[in-house]
Amino acid sequence: MKGTAFAQPLVAATLLGVVGLLLVAVSLNRFLFRLGRISREQYQDILVRSKTWCWLALGLLTPIVLGAAWVMGAALVLSLLCYREFARATGLFREKEIGLVVVLGIVALTLANAIHYDRMFFATAPLTAGALAIITIPTDQPKGYVQRVALGVFGFLLFGCSFGYLGLIANDERYRSILILIFVGVEMNDVFAYCVGRTVGGPKLVPLTSPGKTKAGALGAMVLTTALVALLTHRVFRGTVVDRWDHLAELGFLIAALGQMGDLVLSSIKRDLGLKDLGVVLPGHGGFLDRFDSLVLVPPVVFHFLSYHLGPLGTHSAAGLLPGG
Amino acid sequence: MEPWQLQPARDLGLPAPERWRSLQRESGLVESGLRLVWLAVTRLFFAGWNRLEVRGRERLPAGPPFLLIANHSSHLDALLLAAALPLKWRDRVSPLAAGEVFFERRPLAAFAAAVLNALPVWRRRRSGGAHSLDELRRRLSEQAGIYIVFPEGTRSRDGQMAPFKSGLGALVAGAAVPVVPCHLQGAFAAAPPGRRFPRRRKIVLTIGAPLTFGTVANHRAGWAHIAAQAKQAVRGLAPVAAGKSEASG
Repeated sequence: MKGTAFAQPLVAATLLGVVGLLLVAVSLNRFLFRLGRISREQYQDILVRSKTWCWLALGLLTPIVLGAAWVMGAALVLSLLCYREFARATGLFREKEIGLVVVLGIVALTLANAIHYDRMFFATAPLTAGALAIITIPTDQPKGYVQRVALGVFGFLLFGCSFGYLGLIANDERYRSILILIFVGVEMNDVFAYCVGRTVGGPKLVPLTSPGKTKAGALGAMVLTTALVALLTHRVFRGTVVDRWDHLAELGFLIAALGQMGDLVLSSIKRDLGLKDLGVVLPGHGGFLDRFDSLVLVPPVVFHFLSYHLGPLGTHSAAGLLPGG
Repeated sequence: MEPWQLQPARDLGLPAPERWRSLQRESGLVESGLRLVWLAVTRLFFAGWNRLEVRGRERLPAGPPFLLIANHSSHLDALLLAAALPLKWRDRVSPLAAGEVFFERRPLAAFAAAVLNALPVWRRRRSGGAHSLDELRRRLSEQAGIYIVFPEGTRSRDGQMAPFKSGLGALVAGAAVPVVPCHLQGAFAAAPPGRRFPRRRKIVLTIGAPLTFGTVANHRAGWAHIAAQAKQAVRGLAPVAAGKSEASG
């Protein structure tokens, strides 16, 4: 199984790259601290962040290497954890009926992925939305009905459906490369935006929503991420209909733009609620949503973009319970 | 269900161990599910093993907030009182538990918080003012809670009821929160100190008429008055014949 995993494009290179980057980051941090170029506080902060990154990298890459069923399980866990943070931040967690329906919806998505039944996956979103609209009616509390139901649907679509697409992608035989393409594209988009923004400076993008982001950073990330994703996509889909400069650029642009939009969606939620972070689970980062905000909008778009050009992803894979691996 | 509020969890931003000990803790779906299972199991156990009989259930208030107070002679007591309440209140019910006993070690603290929904009361004042009856009092009304309180402050070692402490008064003096006196008969015989697994003895829980102390002044004299009244009410529920042998005080 592991031979197959590392044979797919990007897998081995990404693993080596991530391990190398983390080692460089930790070593450089220590080196700069010993030289006195950074304070003890900065050193500790970077160390904590690096350690968290190690766990995150392990959590993201291990399921990809182990197999499709593991990816589906990881997508389920990620969806539930992110929804939990969202529900606790908005107060929706007090509505137990809504929470139960969202959790059942997320489990249904995972089941649809596990049995490779795409029509069930796509039907789950409207069915769950319908169930959310119905579930609190028997309590006979119409005051606040719209807010409760709307937040439930919002949370389910963003964190259940969207992350559920990661499991859906896992039904395709090229899932390892596609998932790595997504994760690398999204994370590097954040890095590019930060680096270009800090280097160039200039006017803020949306200062009330996210005071740290600049227009230059957003534009720079757009250009660099588009180029990076185009390059990686070319490696993964060499010789297919996607392997044309216009399609490669389109996919790169979509990941770059939606990565930044996802970040801003979560920033808007946090500003509206007056919160800095949505959780404390990841030391140095905040909560899962603070770390995975840029990922929220990307998986569905990548799935449908590739399916549109290549035919539905996963069509040629074997059907049945927990396929892949 | 309460009117909708776009209000983050009161314990948002606290790491798990601090959250378990926090009086601002709020429950989610997972905890609610765990409690449902736990309460179902304990009810079945008490009904089958101890032939638990609940008398006066109709005297319970129509809804929270309120306090259940009782004589305290075994580790079963809080579970027995919780077993007498409707399951729909499971996320409202909070036994007040000794912080030093239930919230010092992480596994026990996690269990006490997630499954029992217990709230810590610290005998020693901790840094940060965790020993806060004011905070408990505020939480009771804000979150429409149901507290299970044993005003003796500790478990009886001989089955006799000890004097009630004035902390109960600090929770309810001057507030329109009903205090429901209860009496447990047979719990000491079923689970005396040192006993790890309960004996097969019949337990009777008698629920009395609610008391209110809205007109009692919220100061030491008022608290002492409430403690005396509450003890009298609990003792009044004890069966006459058994009252001398267990928890008569």
